[in-house]
Amino acid sequence: MIDLLIAILRSGTPLVYITLAGVIAQRSGVWHLGLEGIMIIGACATILGIVATGSFALALLIAVLLCVAASVLLWVVIEKLRANPIIAGLGMTGLGLGGTALAVEAIFGSQATVSAPFGVPRIGDSFGRFGVLSIFVVALPVVVALFWVLLRRTRFGLRLAASGEHPFALRSIGGNPSAMRLAALVIGGVLCAIGGAELAGGSLQFFAQGMTAGRGFMAFAAVVFGAAHPVAAPAAALLFAILGTLGIRAQLLFGEKVPHDLLQAVPYLTTVVGVWLSSRLRGGGDGGGYGELRDR
Amino acid sequence: MSSHLVTITRSLVFVCLALLLCAALMQGLGFNALLMLTSVAEGAFLRPGAIENSLRWGLPLFLSAAGVSIAFRAGFFNIGAQGQFYLGAIFAATAAHWLQGGAPLLVIPAILCAGFLGGALWALWPGLMKLGSGTDEVITTLMGNFIAGLLLVWVTSGPLKDPAGSGQQASSPVLAAPYRISDSSGVSATTLGIALGVGILLWLLVNRTAFGVLSGLAGRNGTMVRWQGASSWRIGLTSFLLSGGLAGLAGAVEFAGPTGRIASGFLPGHGFTATLVALVANFSILGTAVTALFFGGLAAAALYLPIMAGLPAAAIEVINASIALFITARSRLVDRLAGRKETSS
Repeated sequence: MIDLLIAILRSGTPLVYITLAGVIAQRSGVWHLGLEGIMIIGACATILGIVATGSFALALLIAVLLCVAASVLLWVVIEKLRANPIIAGLGMTGLGLGGTALAVEAIFGSQATVSAPFGVPRIGDSFGRFGVLSIFVVALPVVVALFWVLLRRTRFGLRLAASGEHPFALRSIGGNPSAMRLAALVIGGVLCAIGGAELAGGSLQFFAQGMTAGRGFMAFAAVVFGAAHPVAAPAAALLFAILGTLGIRAQLLFGEKVPHDLLQAVPYLTTVVGVWLSSRLRGGGDGGGYGELRDR
Repeated sequence: MSSHLVTITRSLVFVCLALLLCAALMQGLGFNALLMLTSVAEGAFLRPGAIENSLRWGLPLFLSAAGVSIAFRAGFFNIGAQGQFYLGAIFAATAAHWLQGGAPLLVIPAILCAGFLGGALWALWPGLMKLGSGTDEVITTLMGNFIAGLLLVWVTSGPLKDPAGSGQQASSPVLAAPYRISDSSGVSATTLGIALGVGILLWLLVNRTAFGVLSGLAGRNGTMVRWQGASSWRIGLTSFLLSGGLAGLAGAVEFAGPTGRIASGFLPGHGFTATLVALVANFSILGTAVTALFFGGLAAAALYLPIMAGLPAAAIEVINASIALFITARSRLVDRLAGRKETSS
């Protein structure tokens, strides 16, 4: 039972961090489909950073800087060059996946994975069997709580929501939606770096090409399913992680009789049903109020 | 006519910018950028047999990209070409499985029709949700891609599993030779004929029919079309079905042509590249054909690079991604380069 809990926490934590990045972007009015690409940059930079510097703190710093740089690039393309956020986001995903593969091949030759001697610091043996969990896992509830306060109880959070839901209202009080989106994407970049670091350094301690394996898009599904709410969306991500872990367990226990591949589709199916129901309830909605932003 | 020229120049500028960005990145990582660019050109077009290879990847891309164009023209952001392509391949493989032993002259058209049907069905539900409840098609078609990918894994490791197959990638049995529409080169009279036929029909549909005019108008100004009394349901549903069906047809062509079977996760970047092709071609059918050949060339070069030039194939992925990042940009700088002042469109 404890093993199962640990497995769920480990697989869920990277997803939740990425989901938070997606939530803040979505609230500011950017459909963030570049999560996958920025996350893998974070994962790659963490492992290569540890190998190069021998220090986790330095490696994380490098990962954060690179992820923030990628986020700023995405912001420039979307806001300054007025590109379509969906296509630009997908481009960023491709750039992250391809760029990290290139970087690994440039440095290590045709090597599929890069191992690091150590990963994210763990909370230690004094916590018994939970000691194998990384500090990012334990920090998660605090991060989510702070995130909720930031988005729902501060001036910044209100302005952020305004820039997504009604940019004109924000402009009319002298605010700048574009700047809010920059802030959101930069914060998202930091969260993606942490999510990537946890993915590659949490329990695995290696980087493999394409190791994010669609997590960025599953996080996007969680953002949509959780209606970009600072607590509901991470909860949805955790739910998806629980389903995934249970699916793998069920297959280990019952063998081929469990259609694991189809169980994996549950997050995407629930998201589709959830979005459909919410648009029905709204009554022929306008694309979640983001129509103006999406079709610019 | 000059507006066409502007569009073409614009796309070319973006593609060149993306190539330069990628070359700079490669140089920065310690590869020889010039060698990379010449190898890409060689692998795509210059080497003997390269054109044929580019056609092999370009033909299915053209079909899917034409489908994406149909949806985007009508204002529907169908980014689910990958899923529709997979469903088309699954339906085609299922049809081939059921009709084993039939006369090839009947079975082959049935396979192609099944592919079209599969893709169309996979676009039908996002279409119905969009038109009926306003559900955002970006989300539904994106999620559809992942569901279809998992469906493909399930089908190839379950119902349609190759009993003789082993190894890591689950796949269906290889399609018997009489039913194949081309060998593994992917270029035959049949595949070329399909692409040409589809191209001509779509060109006529887009440029010479009421649907073409109204759907293009619907994409720019849906209210106006409604005021003119045209049914947005009919235009919308036709666009979705046609768009998905074409991607499904590409799946069937890929299955009955070069690949000869379906395998879990095959051609993973197909839908994304097809969307790129449609965007670079600015949704013109003729442009899509030319652009598909170019991106088919890049795909061919991706196989050529590691073997012949010792360069990582991921370079092609980076080129595609850079194009995606910038292709929809509406920067004044690029517009000036393309010789156009800021316009309202």
